[in-house]
Parts: sequence; structure tokens; C-alpha cells
Amino acid sequence: MKKFLVFLSFICFAFGLSGAQHHTNQAVIGVEKNQRVMKALQGMNLDLLMERDGKIYIVVSPEDLIALTANNIFYTVESHKFIPENRKILAVQGGVNGDFHSYAELERDMMALADAYPELAQVIDIGDSLEARNIYAIRISNNVGIQESEASVIFLGGHHAREWISVEVPYLFAKYLVENYDTNPEIRRLVDNCDIWIVPLVNPDGLEYSIHFYRYWRKNMRDNGDGTYGVDLNRNYGYKWGWDDTGSSPSTASEVYRGPHPFSEPESQTIRDLFGQQNFQALVSYHSYSQLILYPWGYTEAASENEDLLFEIAEKMSQLMEPVNGRYYKADRAGAGLYLTNGDTTDWSFGEYGIPSFTIELPPDSRITGEFFNAESDIQPIFNENLPAALYLIDWCIQTYPSHTRAYQSPSRSQQQRVLHKK
Amino acid sequence: MGQERYNQNSEKMKKKFSCVMTFLLCVVLLSSIPSWAQLHLGQYQDEAPFRTWNTFGVPSASSVGMGETHFASVSDLSASIINPARLTALPEFSLTLNTSYTTASIHKYAIVNTGVLRTDGNSAMGLYAIDFAGIAFTYNGWALGISIGLLETYERPSQNPDYLSQGEVVYLLEFQQSGLLRNYNLSLARKVGGRFSFGIGLNYVSGELVKGIVENMYYSGVTISDQKEHNFKGFYLNGGFVADVAQNIRIAAVFRTPYTKKADSKSSLRYDSPQGNTDIRIEVAAESEYKQPFVLGLGVEYWFSPGLRVASDVSYFNWSSYAVTYFDEEIKKEFRNIVKISGGLEYTTSLRLFRQDLQVPLRIGLSYDPQPVEEPNSHYLYYTFGFGLHWQKLHLDAGAMLGEEKGSGHDLNGRRFAVCLSYFL
Repeated sequence: MKKFLVFLSFICFAFGLSGAQHHTNQAVIGVEKNQRVMKALQGMNLDLLMERDGKIYIVVSPEDLIALTANNIFYTVESHKFIPENRKILAVQGGVNGDFHSYAELERDMMALADAYPELAQVIDIGDSLEARNIYAIRISNNVGIQESEASVIFLGGHHAREWISVEVPYLFAKYLVENYDTNPEIRRLVDNCDIWIVPLVNPDGLEYSIHFYRYWRKNMRDNGDGTYGVDLNRNYGYKWGWDDTGSSPSTASEVYRGPHPFSEPESQTIRDLFGQQNFQALVSYHSYSQLILYPWGYTEAASENEDLLFEIAEKMSQLMEPVNGRYYKADRAGAGLYLTNGDTTDWSFGEYGIPSFTIELPPDSRITGEFFNAESDIQPIFNENLPAALYLIDWCIQTYPSHTRAYQSPSRSQQQRVLHKK
Repeated sequence: MGQERYNQNSEKMKKKFSCVMTFLLCVVLLSSIPSWAQLHLGQYQDEAPFRTWNTFGVPSASSVGMGETHFASVSDLSASIINPARLTALPEFSLTLNTSYTTASIHKYAIVNTGVLRTDGNSAMGLYAIDFAGIAFTYNGWALGISIGLLETYERPSQNPDYLSQGEVVYLLEFQQSGLLRNYNLSLARKVGGRFSFGIGLNYVSGELVKGIVENMYYSGVTISDQKEHNFKGFYLNGGFVADVAQNIRIAAVFRTPYTKKADSKSSLRYDSPQGNTDIRIEVAAESEYKQPFVLGLGVEYWFSPGLRVASDVSYFNWSSYAVTYFDEEIKKEFRNIVKISGGLEYTTSLRLFRQDLQVPLRIGLSYDPQPVEEPNSHYLYYTFGFGLHWQKLHLDAGAMLGEEKGSGHDLNGRRFAVCLSYFL
């Protein structure tokens, strides 16, 4: 019963957030004011907002909701009463793409995070896009300026321009980690023991084109010289690049054009170079749509040698995600579960470095339920449901460190040489 | 000795050969480095006026015929937006109506030739407009002008590509952009000492720009639409000075203050799928701003004889100050200052038609019109010609300018044909 109530509270929490406070993990709830409740609240250190008409309004986090439920305090989600009155003010914050981030907004917000939590977060310019925009990573760790001997994980977003939600989820994850470090012991443990890298926007040029010119733009902005533009960055990585013309295309006009050669694009080079400098243990690359958790291989329907481990992690993540909003993410091998892809990020990170690598295809689940569109009000719920999966993966990295490092299980000989050379 | 020389020559040859090979290797290596191409929309950014960025007033037909020279030489009511000081030269009452037909070719704009839609050549379109109407009074050295002009248009060639399957349209994309900027002017001018005139104009601009993309995916019943609207308004001052420095020489100086073209902007992005019971909208209302540049112009007019005159204008557009805030977000624009140069010649003859004596001015001119967008660095060179039929009170003028663009690599062109009717009392 208690579990059900906690689950219910998460559902209410997500719905409460959806209309109210974007880019936060907090909601406003109301509880009846009486002696029993007042006594219970006193020991809970909550953020009381106001009192009106016999009701106390409280700003709460998911953890607070669990605590309230445990204390048998009944509440109603009241976030909708605190929607900013002036829509124009929201627009001022959101620009032409509403509550989704543009490149400039993301840059500003990432810098603001690093400024607010300098001891935990560091924004690093890891490379330039084709049109000379910066590609930023935000690094989160308890000793963020120091290269420690600890677990390390990377989360990527925004490979494909039109998948706006794939930028929001990793950014909100960074925000969540630093904002909850002081108050949430579990987050503190994860951040203290893991070097977390988040690159929310790998393809800034494409995103800007998608915002200002054509919503459905997918590739980067490479001028292919024949009147066509763009290379699909998620077909441009170096492992089994151009394996066949099904999983990618040699045609410049194609949506899945793989580029003239592996890592021909500065954006994919940037990720490659970052891997050369860091020892990541796992990778998540966010995309949309389909609600899938995909793992290698993508270039073939065949299973990898590590199929069991990859499926186990993906399945666990799926199980953690479903209760939050009731959305099911199917765990599957990429080549078999979605379609064949060669030269993608996860095949490369798994093939070259042997690390568990996952493509999470965010909602919606089908073409007719939104395709690459997500409502602004769904940003926070989608993040909320992805949060436990991301936290689980970090924990997995910590628990398996250092056994599951690149040197332990790298399947490619060249990488073994590379790791040895690094040593 | 011979062997030594042979060896020396051989060494020299080897050095030369290795130098040549090194050079060739460098060339090969350099040529294999991928070029970092960027998406430069070039001249036709969304808010770019049709044909040219460098709009300053509305050139009437006589000005068009003389290479768009008008600072010192304008002799109709279009002076009110260009150089109000020239209003003092008009009779007691004057009325001007100007119409024009403007054509231009465009290669890269919006979603065309930037990744989504590809055209084999340039797209072209033409716009007809009654682009200027005004009325002016002069009295005792004072002049008052009231006018309305079409300062800028933002039209673009529409695109409607579709995809057929078994004879039925299963996919249709529609792109449209339209818009204009009107200029309302109130001018006051004063003649001083018989040889000098000063004038000042108060201008209010208003207009709109609408850009829309609709994608109909009939096979899935999904419609995606993206509509952006801007309603402009702004104020600026223009003014000028004219001096008849000699009996056959007139000089002029004009200015336009920098001003902000403010816009109430609305954006509506919608995904509609009745089949999936999904209707997602991102609707935003915000302010946009387009900071228009300061303009300074100098003009001269020289009369060789009562029937033959030449005129020249030089205008400086401070485009490096151009700045755009789009839906409250600053958009980086790389613009450079430019100097536009125009020159024209007018020869007036007389003609007797319908028992009336007519003055018939014949005009030719040249205009060099560089565009302010830094990349690509482009300019238009216009050849102009025109003529007039002037009765005593009624003047009918016609002018044409034919321009070719250089710099973008797409051989764009711009043309303007104007007819102007003026009535003087």
C-alpha cells in the first residue's frame, strides 16, 4: 500500500509540475492545517510557502513527498495555482522555442549552474561546431577541478537537431545533481564517487537551424558542396562506419548521410577527442522518439559478447523509469529493436572502448503521438522518468569501478593497445 | 672536374626536386583539409528588404532614371522622405503619386537552398505597388509636406513542393513569406537667404512580416505548422540642407537618424495529429527589435546648360551598428558599413504634342549598391534610364533600373520600373 502511495505521489508530482514550474524538480502542494499535521511538519524541515484558508502550501521535492506519505499526511498538488500570470514573461525566458533551450540559452544556463555551484560543476568548452559555436560539457564531481581515480560516466544529448527534448533531459540532469547535492545523501554519494560528464548539445548549429528555419532539421550544417547540407552526426562515428548502405547512406541528400569519412565532422571529432582524454565507464546518448533503451550492436542484428550485461542494465533502467509516469521504455538491441544503424555513437563507444553504451529514445512512442515534438509541459515529466535510470547507471559505474574500465573489457585490439599506451 | 660539376648539378637537381615535391605535398595536404563551410544566408536574411538592404526614402521615377540620384536633384514630393529641404523648390501646391514594379532574383533564403529545399537556379518574383503618395504646400519660403511611402517589402518566392504516390498527393510542404514597411512622413522646410534651404521630417514606420511553413503529411494525417509574425513600428527623423553655391551648382547634405524598428512578435509552432489525438503547440509572444543604421548622404547637381545637368549622390550607411533581438534573444549579425554611389545625367528637349509644348527630359545613370552583409561580400551595379513628359502643371516621369549582382556567386539581379505623376499649382 505504501509503495502504491509513493508511486501515486510521483504521478501527482509529475502532473503538478507539468503546468507550473519548468526546469525545476519542485512542486507546490497543499495540506490541511491541523495540530497533527503541524506537529509532523515541524520535524521535516520543509519549505513552507504560505498559509491561506486553512491550508498550508509547501514547496516540495520528490523526497519530501515520500516523507509526507510515510507520515500519513495527505496532500493535494497545487502547482497549477502558482502558474505565472503573464505568458509573455514565460516567453521572455523561453525565446522563440518556448521552454526549450536554444544554443544561447543553454550556454547561459550552463554557465549559471557552474557559477552557482563552482565546487561541484565546471563548464568546459570541449570543441567547436562547424559554424564555430562552442560545444560545452558540464563536469560534475565533488572535486571537480581534480582528475581523481574514480568512476566516470558520460551523458550526451542533441546529436539530432530536431530532437529538442534530448537537450533538455541531460541539462536538467546536471541541474538536478548540483541542486540536490547538499540535501540528498544519495546524490551526494553518487557525485562524490563518480566523475559525471554531460554534453547536452552535440549539434548546436543544427539546433539553431531547427529553431529558426525548419523544425524537422536533423543533421549538422555541413555544406556538402552539391546543394545539399548536413551530415548525420549519429552515423559519422568511426566504428563500423559505412558498414552497409542500410544503416547509413553515402548519399549527401539523405537524412542519414554518414559523411565522406569517419569523424569527418568537428562535432563527432569533439566527442572522440573527449574520450581520448577521459576514462568513461558508461555512456548514454539521448535521442527521440520511440521510448526505447537501445544497446549495441546497431550495425548488425547480431548480439554482442556482452549482450547479457547490456540487456540487464537496460532492463533495470526501464524498470526504474516506468513507475514515474507510467511510460514504458522497451530495452532492446539497437539493430534488432529499432533499425540498423552504422557509425553511431554507442556502437563506437562500445566497440572501441568496450563500455556499456545506451541510446535512450525519449517520448513520444510513435509518429502520430508527436514524433519529434514534445509539449513544453512534458519536459519535466520526461526528465523525471529518466532521472532514476541515469542515477542507476552512475551507481553501476561506482559499484563496478575499477573492474569495468576500458582495459577490462575492450573488445577491439586497437583499443587495448591504446589503453596500454595510455598507461 | 666534369664529374664534380655533374655531381653538383645533380645535387642541385635533387634539392630542386625535393623542394618541388615538398611544395606539391603541401598543396595536396592542404587541399585535403576539409573546408569549414558555414551557413551564410547572405543578402536575403528573413528581414532583408526585397532587392536591396539600402533603403532611404522612396526613389521616384525621375530619380530612378538618373541612377537613383536625388539628394540635390529631386524635384517632386519624394523629397519629403529623402531631403525635405528640397520641398521649398516646389510650387505653392504639389501632389505626387508614384508606382513601381520591382523584380529580383533570389537564390538562398529561409529553407530554400539552405538544406531543406534545393532549386536548380534562382527563384524570382515581381512586386507591383503604389509606393508613394504625398502632398505639399509652400508659402513665403516655408514648405510643408505630408506623405506616405512603401519603404520596404519582405516578400519571398513561395514554394509548394509535394510528393505523389499513385497519383495522389501524400505530402505537401508550403512555404510563404510576406510583409512590408510603410513610412508616414510630416516634413517642414524653410528657405533662407534665397540660396539655402533646410528641412526636417518626422517619420513613423509601421508594417508586418509573416513567415509560415506548413507540412501536410496526408499519409499519416499529421500537419506541422510554423508561423512567425512581427508587427513593426518605429520613429525616426530625417533632414537635409541644400545650397545653391553658384548659378549652376547645387549641393546637398541629408541624414536619417538611427532608429529601432520594434516588433510585437508571435510564434506558433504546432503538431496536429487527429489520428493520434495529439495537438502540441508552442506559442510565444515576445518583442523583437531591429536597430536600423544612421544614414548620411551628400549630393551635388551641376548644370552645363539649361537643358543638360548631371547629379551625383554618395550615401553612407552605418550598418555595422545593425543589431537584432529576435523574440527577446540577441541574434548575431555580421554587417559592414557601406557607401553607395550614384550618378546620372539628364538632357531636356522640347516637343509639341496635341498642340501643347512639352518638356521632355531624357535620363541615364549608374548606381553602385554594395550590400552590407559581410559574407558573401556582394554588390549590385545598376544601369538606369528614363524619360519624362512635362506639361506646365502635370509631370509624367518613367524610369527603369537594371542591376546585376556580383559576389554571391549566384548572379542575382534586381530591377525596378517606376512611373510617377506629379501635379503642380
